[in-house]
Amino acid sequence: MSQFQTIERYQPTRSTYQLLPFRFTPLDEHQYVLTNLAGEYIVLNRPSLHDLLAHRLSNVDPAYIDLRARHFLMDESAAITPTLLSLKLRTRYQRLAEFTGLHLFVVTLRCEHSCPYCQVSRRSQDTQRYDMTPEAANAALTLAFRSPSQHIKIEFQGGEPLLNFPLIQTIVLEAESRNQTLGKDLAFVIATNLALINDDILSFCRDHAILLSTSLDGPKDLHNANRPRPGGDSYERTVRGITLAREVLGHDRVSALMTTTEASLSRVHDIIDEYVAQSFNGIFLRPLSPYGFALKTRSYHAYNTERWLTFYRQGLDYIIELNRRGHDFAEYYASIILKKMFTSDDPGYVDLMSPAGIGIGAAVYNYDGSVYASDESRMLAEMGKDTFKLGHVLTHTYEDLFTSPALLDPLEESFAYSNPMCHDCAFEPYCGAEPVYHYAMHGDFVARKPESEFCRRNMETFRYLILKMENDPFAKRLFLQWANR
Amino acid sequence: MSDNMTTSTVIFDGNVFSLNAVKKAAYRHLKAFTADISIIDKQIQCVLTFPTPLSEKGRLQVENEFKKEVLDQDLREQLHVETAAVRNVILAHAFSKTGLTTDEPVSDN
Amino acid sequence: MLKLSGRLPVLQNLNGAPYLATVTKDEHLAPDQKQTRALLMSEGMNPIGFKAILTKEHRRVSPGQDSDVFQLREEFEYLCDGDIIRLDPSSGSMRCLYRRNSDHNTILLTEQCDHYCLMCSQPPKRIADSWLLTEATELISRIPQETTCLGFSGGEPTLYGRAFIDLLTHTKTCLPMTAIDVLSNGRAFKDISFARQYAAIQHPDLLIGIPIYSDDPVRHNYVVQSQGAFDETIRGILNLKSLNQRVEIRIVIHRQTVGRLVKTCEFIARNLLFVDHVALMGLEITGFTRPNLEVLWIDPYEYRDVLSEAVGVLNSYGMHASVYNHQLCTVNSDIGSNYRKSISDWKNEYLDECRACSRIQDCGGFFSSSKNHKHSKYIKPFR
Repeated sequence: MSQFQTIERYQPTRSTYQLLPFRFTPLDEHQYVLTNLAGEYIVLNRPSLHDLLAHRLSNVDPAYIDLRARHFLMDESAAITPTLLSLKLRTRYQRLAEFTGLHLFVVTLRCEHSCPYCQVSRRSQDTQRYDMTPEAANAALTLAFRSPSQHIKIEFQGGEPLLNFPLIQTIVLEAESRNQTLGKDLAFVIATNLALINDDILSFCRDHAILLSTSLDGPKDLHNANRPRPGGDSYERTVRGITLAREVLGHDRVSALMTTTEASLSRVHDIIDEYVAQSFNGIFLRPLSPYGFALKTRSYHAYNTERWLTFYRQGLDYIIELNRRGHDFAEYYASIILKKMFTSDDPGYVDLMSPAGIGIGAAVYNYDGSVYASDESRMLAEMGKDTFKLGHVLTHTYEDLFTSPALLDPLEESFAYSNPMCHDCAFEPYCGAEPVYHYAMHGDFVARKPESEFCRRNMETFRYLILKMENDPFAKRLFLQWANR
Repeated sequence: MSDNMTTSTVIFDGNVFSLNAVKKAAYRHLKAFTADISIIDKQIQCVLTFPTPLSEKGRLQVENEFKKEVLDQDLREQLHVETAAVRNVILAHAFSKTGLTTDEPVSDN
Repeated sequence: MLKLSGRLPVLQNLNGAPYLATVTKDEHLAPDQKQTRALLMSEGMNPIGFKAILTKEHRRVSPGQDSDVFQLREEFEYLCDGDIIRLDPSSGSMRCLYRRNSDHNTILLTEQCDHYCLMCSQPPKRIADSWLLTEATELISRIPQETTCLGFSGGEPTLYGRAFIDLLTHTKTCLPMTAIDVLSNGRAFKDISFARQYAAIQHPDLLIGIPIYSDDPVRHNYVVQSQGAFDETIRGILNLKSLNQRVEIRIVIHRQTVGRLVKTCEFIARNLLFVDHVALMGLEITGFTRPNLEVLWIDPYEYRDVLSEAVGVLNSYGMHASVYNHQLCTVNSDIGSNYRKSISDWKNEYLDECRACSRIQDCGGFFSSSKNHKHSKYIKPFR
């Protein structure tokens, strides 16, 4: 029909294009990942990248059309592009300012377990020495409510926090009472091994909408070997506790975390199967953190990054296959990264935030009243390095604590956007500054990234996720669901 | 052992590549080698020292990776310069007080 | 398919010029009411005083000195009490503008348009037709307040500018409880002051449906046959959303759009997550689609996996998404919760083989135009 024009007629009249800000990093031998200002990625082969940068890419090349649609370049047909990019960027930073403030209350350092990898706990009856006092708890609560965030999550940590349950009750009741006038979105979590759970505790949790987060390291033999306690029945108690807690609180009110040890590395399928068997909807395949006893006992060095990556890749592949067979099951570390890749939301995960999540994403009120910038910070302190100690609940004001050099210096120094190598890394929008890790391992907040196992582990994880999606449409679709969980 | 080397020299044309690009590329490879960088007659000369001796093949591989990275770094610099203006426009717009639009309603609602 | 317009034999012409009339079966109305009504005549009625009389009988109705008299042919026997029609006694032309028993009343506001879409179902005309707006204004005054929903379409209604805003304001006044859907290409709202006028109506239940056919601006501009359309439409949507107006994005799936459908949905999720609804629509084989069938047609069954993936993207992001104008046997079961029976009742049909289908009740069926001209080769009754 002559009255209709062909598509060529709508091509830009001039063949010139304007590059938009983006970063690029090799994905594999032949391909590059490009990320734009809003964190959207695109994969290009090396010749196309060079053509793009040299302004040689033809405007009918499929890569050109994708690059224009995803805001890596613009021409006269898409003048709206800078507006859309600004909007996405704006949303991203707004969300960053809105995420939940996480306040960790270490109500006791005591624990009846004696896990060799544990960062902080003590086998002790000395309540005087290792329990938080009501005065400190009260002062900590005042600080928590000073935080500007509309969402406040109070998480009870230990040791085993149930060993000081009366203090938990006091804090919950007091927080609810204060919140009646403040009207914040208030949530509670107890991180517990569930060994000491009973009906009274569960009733209280039910009545006050408290979530339980427990530890499950895998199948019985692995879990019990990882987590020794008198009687050697950690697994049995945990599983019994999960069942009981779900009955009283509801299935989705109980979550579990696993710790990866050297013994775990060859058993990722068993571990995932155990989570499936216990009817969990997903698993967090975590690397072992380098703090506390873990570093002292050298168990951290018992496995290196390469072995962890193999473990992680095997696990992820296995989970993808589970889903392909119709079983809904997510991997949470990937989910956090994917949320950053595919949405303008920030998952607020402290390890993967830049500026660093310390102090902003979380604050820790330790059993002795000292305040730390993150859970890792207090673990580091247990090893004798209190670099990230912000002050004390009874002697410092909110302003003292959250403008202290112990917080601001590492925040500023580690801000990934301005670090060597991070600055031009395509994965920077997905990654985190993690000054605490780098301080623990390298003695400064930034470290030389080529030597950083954190950098290596995450870069490889990002690459693996992107390659999966490039090669497997099912994985792409699944990952998009995880991103929006 | 005689084939294996602990050092090698790579030269970049200073008319083509910036010193900064070479430095950044060397930084990225600091696990593979340390580099002594000097400029001789507009030529950027890099003496690479490997932590362990490398075979001819291994040495070539490292050198190639390094050269590729220098080229990438050079392109990154160009890109950065070329997009600086539009980046500023986008950032200014993203963090300005206006809402979604270029012409923001003054007092709606 | 119901015939909404046609010519009726004129048995008596008194009034000359065209007018609107509300159909009634009630002969006992007050004299001034009768002057706005067309009486559906049946045996033994007294038709005196009505503006118009619709009769199935051949013979002239008597005495009827003050009425236009039209012979109602069989295809218009669906007309019933409360329907609103336009009658032209000099030509005998009749158009049904509002059917009381339908949820699919759409008012055509203009046939002029600044787009020239390859698959336009209402090909634009370059003739002055502002009488349609005048007629719509009167029509809205007549429509009963209980009406749950009403659509405005074109052409491009926003070409009226201020008069379009006035019509919507009038509609809000007359029909405060009625949900209004407007179809527009959204370009007029690139002008924030026009968008503000629209927002200032403060209509309680107004949704504007705006098409985006591709994440590739060149392709979008090609489909709508207009340079610069993509930029202006997107800016229009951004302006409307900045003023908290409800916006639906509409994508018609055909050979020119299906190739980037998934990417287009990804683009919408990343850039326009704040829109209220996304409609993925099958092709209607009418208007320009027929001359362009070669470049547009793709069997829905062939793109069913693409459709599933596109819906999957929108669902993943928690967007409200609907699939319109498809038959159940041409789509995958995984889009089930997004599937809608959407084809307007008056142009909705099924094939003969569909009678044996166990899911016909849940199926949207066909446009009459598809049934007559082109439909999927893979229609297969569920057993």
